Amino acid sequence: MTDALVLRSLRKTFRKPAVDNLDLTVRSGELYALLGPNGAGKTTTLRMVAGLLRPDAGSIQVFGVDVLADPIAAKRLIAWAPDEPMLYDRLTPMEYLEFVAGLWNVPPDIAQTRAEDLLKTLGLWDDRNRRCEGFSRGMKQKAALAGALIHEPKLLILDEPLTGLDAAVARQVKDLLQARVRTGATVILTTHILEVAERMADRIGIIQQGKLLAEGTLDQLRARTGETGATLEDVFLDLTGERTEAEAVAE
Amino acid sequence: MSKDPTRLRRPVLPQGSTAWLFAHEMRVSWRNLLARRGGGMRSTVIAVGMLLAVAGFAGVPLGLAASHVEIPMTRLSTIFVDLGVVMVGSLMLSQTLASAAEALYQRGDLDLLFSSPVDPRRTLTVRFLVLALNVFLAFALLVSPLFLPVALIGHPEWLGAYGVLAALALTSSALGLLLAMALFRTIGPRRTRAVAQAIAAVIGAGFFLATQLRNILGGHRSGSVWNEAMSLARDPRFVLPPGADWPLRAIMGEAVPLLAMLGGAVVLFFGVSAWLGRRFARDAAVASGADTADVRHRHRPMRFSSGAYAATLRKELRLLWRDAALISQVLLRVLYLMPLGFLLIQNAGMRQSLLLPGGAAGLAFLSGQVAGSLAWITISAEEAPGLLVSAPTPGWTFLAAKLTAAFTPLAALLIPLLAALTVLSPVTGLAATVGCAAAAVAAGLINVWYQKPGKRAEFRRRRGSSWFATLAEAIITALIAAAAGFAASGSIWGLVPLTVAGALLVGLRRSDEQITQAIQAAD
Repeated sequence: MTDALVLRSLRKTFRKPAVDNLDLTVRSGELYALLGPNGAGKTTTLRMVAGLLRPDAGSIQVFGVDVLADPIAAKRLIAWAPDEPMLYDRLTPMEYLEFVAGLWNVPPDIAQTRAEDLLKTLGLWDDRNRRCEGFSRGMKQKAALAGALIHEPKLLILDEPLTGLDAAVARQVKDLLQARVRTGATVILTTHILEVAERMADRIGIIQQGKLLAEGTLDQLRARTGETGATLEDVFLDLTGERTEAEAVAE
Repeated sequence: MSKDPTRLRRPVLPQGSTAWLFAHEMRVSWRNLLARRGGGMRSTVIAVGMLLAVAGFAGVPLGLAASHVEIPMTRLSTIFVDLGVVMVGSLMLSQTLASAAEALYQRGDLDLLFSSPVDPRRTLTVRFLVLALNVFLAFALLVSPLFLPVALIGHPEWLGAYGVLAALALTSSALGLLLAMALFRTIGPRRTRAVAQAIAAVIGAGFFLATQLRNILGGHRSGSVWNEAMSLARDPRFVLPPGADWPLRAIMGEAVPLLAMLGGAVVLFFGVSAWLGRRFARDAAVASGADTADVRHRHRPMRFSSGAYAATLRKELRLLWRDAALISQVLLRVLYLMPLGFLLIQNAGMRQSLLLPGGAAGLAFLSGQVAGSLAWITISAEEAPGLLVSAPTPGWTFLAAKLTAAFTPLAALLIPLLAALTVLSPVTGLAATVGCAAAAVAAGLINVWYQKPGKRAEFRRRRGSSWFATLAEAIITALIAAAAGFAASGSIWGLVPLTVAGALLVGLRRSDEQITQAIQAAD
């Protein structure tokens, strides 16, 4: 089976290297959590995959499609949802979904049905005709997520999808993502909430300073640190070398 | 012992006082101004240098020439000054009404201020005091390069004009606030924003429209309002109302009228602020989210459009229509366009009239300007650029849809006018139509090539964000307008400005790669 995402020797430098010869493979149909301290290069990596940034070197393949050689074909398979929802304040959720569906050329009747289903699932149906400018952070996040799902992407990339959401909304989002994975979609997400990655992710990748430090299931990562029964937080702090810093602060 | 730089400085002014709040607002205003101008001192120095150059090369000679000129206190000079005061006052009121209505809906730091123990009346007073100061400074900066040297060289008593300007700024701020609050009470929070912007546009253009009333209504040509004023001054039956000469006497530096005008304005300003302070805080809370409802689709399902082009066009048209500030700006230009259009239609039968080529040129120029503004909104002020880049749609599809959206309202405004003109005077109509279309397309293309990400809220200040595009747009549309004017008069000389405009456009053209690089550099 073709892998969902293959990154090879990916490099991007701003003032200093943000992504440094990164090799990464995400299998089709898995939920992959990409973790790393602030400034590790997670968002830069995902923005390159989504076609928002051009890498300095390396290759990106999405389901076998070369993102750099044929970006349009690759984008048809991807949905990108950044931490700041890409919404229009003066559009209603329904109008927003109509627009996004148009961008991905979803036939209008199918898009309409999907939009209704998504808004109902995400609890936005009653607000479908309100402009997004009056929405709370959680509502905006849900509207943006509906936009990301309306064209039923094979690869869903989410940057900090749960930041700032209350427990109920976060639960809705998590359930929706897991449901997508069950139907065969691939989800890559970044998060600072390590419990989320621990519970949801099939595999976890940890990057630091633009390089992949470790990758695998939680058990594989535990084995690597030699801490049986450790939480992902312990493993993460050990691998990134931030445990000593955290302990010093605590003391 | 060395100072710890991370420690907060002890405030000079008592915290929470009016002066302290005023200092805070001024600091924020100043930083916003610097940020809008590109953030650096360099652009500020350039702007000040230009003002000084105008003052040195034009203001000083004018001051020397006018040093022995005295303004007579006559009926004519009184009427002229009063008309000037009405004109400046209406322009100021237009600005303050729009700002006052907008302030009701801006969340920003108002939530912070209203949730603090500071008296809301104080917050409101300071906010509107800064508004009045900004309006005063805008007009003072406009007249100072010429007026200040004249006053300083030969007529220091004329500095009273600044007092009159300050009185007008305070009065217009108070009236703007009163009007905005009255609208809020009368028509409710959902409509106030849009209606206030529209009224502000009408007030802003009010003086100009009043001077053109006869042209619009089809009467004989009035010459100008200043001619009317002269004949009024000569009419012995006309009696000036009491106090009509106060603005002139105040400008001439007479203490009593100057202090009376300033005192009246201060009392009005602080009275209105104190009266409406608490109500403003309450209404601002009500306004929060009140204009977000949209009931149009509530009872019928929305039909989705098909494809990226149609979806983008529909989205852009929706956003244009829902942008109250934008509507007011376009309305303002349309109001300026109306008298020109009426004038053209009235004179369409007169073959020898100079008005026809001039009007055709004017229409083409305004068409380019409106198209440029709308294209900036649809192209540069895209709210979700990441969404478009991540979509599997070629960039030109978006640009085509965005330009179509920018041209659609313009076409709706111009087509009836141009059609009527073509029926009445085919040559003028055709020249104006081709000129309008060419100017619009040129302005649109410049906005595509020189797009620079901005926010819709920055529409009024977009000129500062991309001055090169604005300048190029103005020069090329002016050349196309000149070509349209020549064509309307049947002259082939129009080919000269048209060729120059074409050559400039070719020279300005940017490749897709250059556009992308420029956008990334601006980010």
